[in-house]
Amino acid sequence: MVSNDMKSILDRVEEDLLSCSVTMMDCDIIQPAEPFLKMAGEDLRRRIFLTHNVAGEALCLRPEFTIPVCMAHISAGERAPQSYGYLGQVFRQRDVGMTEFYQAGIEDLGDQDIALADARAISNAAMMVGNSSHADAIDIVIGDQAVFADVLSALGLPDGWQDRLIHAFGDEQALATMLETLSTSEELSYADDAVKSLVEAEDHEGLSNHLADVMAETGYSTKASRSPDDIARRILEKQRLSNTKLDENDLEKLKEFLAIKVPLSEAINALNMFADKSEIDLSQSLKTFASRISALEQMGFDMSSAVYETAFGRPLDYYTGLVFEIKNSQGAQVLAAGGRYDRLMALLGAQASIPAVGFSLWLDRFEVNS
Amino acid sequence: MTITVALPSKGRMKADTLEAFKKAGMSVETVGNDRSYHGRVLENDDIEIAFMSASEIAKELTKGSIDFGVTGEDLVRETIANVDSHVDFHARLGYGHADVIVAVPEFWHDVTTMSDLADVAMGFRARHGRQLSIATKYWQLTQQFFSSRHGIQLYRIVESLGATEGAPAAGTADIIVDITTTGSTLRANHLRILSDGLILRSEACLVGAKGSAHYGSPLYNQISTAFK
Repeated sequence: MVSNDMKSILDRVEEDLLSCSVTMMDCDIIQPAEPFLKMAGEDLRRRIFLTHNVAGEALCLRPEFTIPVCMAHISAGERAPQSYGYLGQVFRQRDVGMTEFYQAGIEDLGDQDIALADARAISNAAMMVGNSSHADAIDIVIGDQAVFADVLSALGLPDGWQDRLIHAFGDEQALATMLETLSTSEELSYADDAVKSLVEAEDHEGLSNHLADVMAETGYSTKASRSPDDIARRILEKQRLSNTKLDENDLEKLKEFLAIKVPLSEAINALNMFADKSEIDLSQSLKTFASRISALEQMGFDMSSAVYETAFGRPLDYYTGLVFEIKNSQGAQVLAAGGRYDRLMALLGAQASIPAVGFSLWLDRFEVNS
Repeated sequence: MTITVALPSKGRMKADTLEAFKKAGMSVETVGNDRSYHGRVLENDDIEIAFMSASEIAKELTKGSIDFGVTGEDLVRETIANVDSHVDFHARLGYGHADVIVAVPEFWHDVTTMSDLADVAMGFRARHGRQLSIATKYWQLTQQFFSSRHGIQLYRIVESLGATEGAPAAGTADIIVDITTTGSTLRANHLRILSDGLILRSEACLVGAKGSAHYGSPLYNQISTAFK
């Protein structure tokens, strides 16, 4: 049953959504499970309510709105930028809290002005949390994977390392382990002597042909999984990376960068200081960051509750830039979470590249007694 | 008061279990004919024996409909969520050894550790338009090992109920999570275990249900310590 408190929260949230001039979206409660599992990975299976239809297709109770909203946008063949709003129940298996609860949010799709759309998402989320939640005070944490990616590239790390580090970004432990691994060199051995000599000769084509022969002999298809060429490429890449190790200076710089935690109003200053000290050029990536901050200022956003954390991110491959969270200062519960997920649209089948940013509100945590 | 102990109903596992019970002072005898699913312990009338399939034993332990069971640790950990709050492992019985492992095609010379696999999984979607797929019947163990322990999210499980080790060659999955004892089946299928790919070293265990009505009673304690 919906409490009176929740009713008034829902009313106010809906009013606020409409004030952001969004198109309200309605999505079916029963959804095909495949897109969610495909995007979020196998771990999600334990957290959603899954069932099957008579044809054996996996269906689930809507665990969130972002994917259905994005898919609707893609299948409508929408070209113009669109801002969608949603409000409704979602269903998840969780250890704490109810399994069915309300979420609301906005998905801002197709706006090419990245900084402005980012700022709008942060500012709208903060406005809605401020208007509807019972939190006395909130903390906003902002992170940006694009800045991390630029630091890696400015330090001139090999591509293979950059990919690995970006992949671990947002997972503190994984990132620490990765830095540790990259700062020690390792001796590689190969069980197959032919492979060993081809690797020594850095003979990509020869290696690829050899692997194709091995696969044919052992009855493995060369098309079903990783191709001989793909395996050969990575064997050689791994060999190259194992011969060099992360320079101690670069390691220190990275650690120093990842430790930066400053009020958002001082973020540009802190990043500039880091760039100067490390003698790297971050001017390009700082441009977006700076215009995002000035857009926020123009929107009248209250900077005092926001901090920038260089290491804050989400370890999912479709997040590309901004991520943010709004927490209740007391209890530190996440009330709103959002970010930029440009890559998701392509993964969901969009032909053109569609910039995308959005946020969701965890409305069950807006209540007085949550 | 009767305490129910469930034992494997067939094969090598059954024979080894009866042997182990005899050594521990419990001579098990089937009631009625040899194929009966009901048994008793000659030395103690208060112990009832139920013969069940190994996977059924794991399920019944959660329900608390049996007090003890003998089955593989792999099945217990796979079948029961939050295993430590439902059962106690009282004894490892020294037979029924099987390792649950992660194996990849042996010609994946660039993949020797889980972190290599994480790296391959990361680029997989972009290269192949689908996620890295794992053939297994161990959903839970795989998810815990990949997601919680190694932070790998981007993979799909392809359920396999038999001949799992043939899946990569058949093209139905990229890699496998399966049990192995000697490794010969893996080698025959040109698969190699990752150096840190051991998920669980399993063997037959005496497992007690925490939900048992007799939990902590003298006879319960006697059985739980009989193998020490």
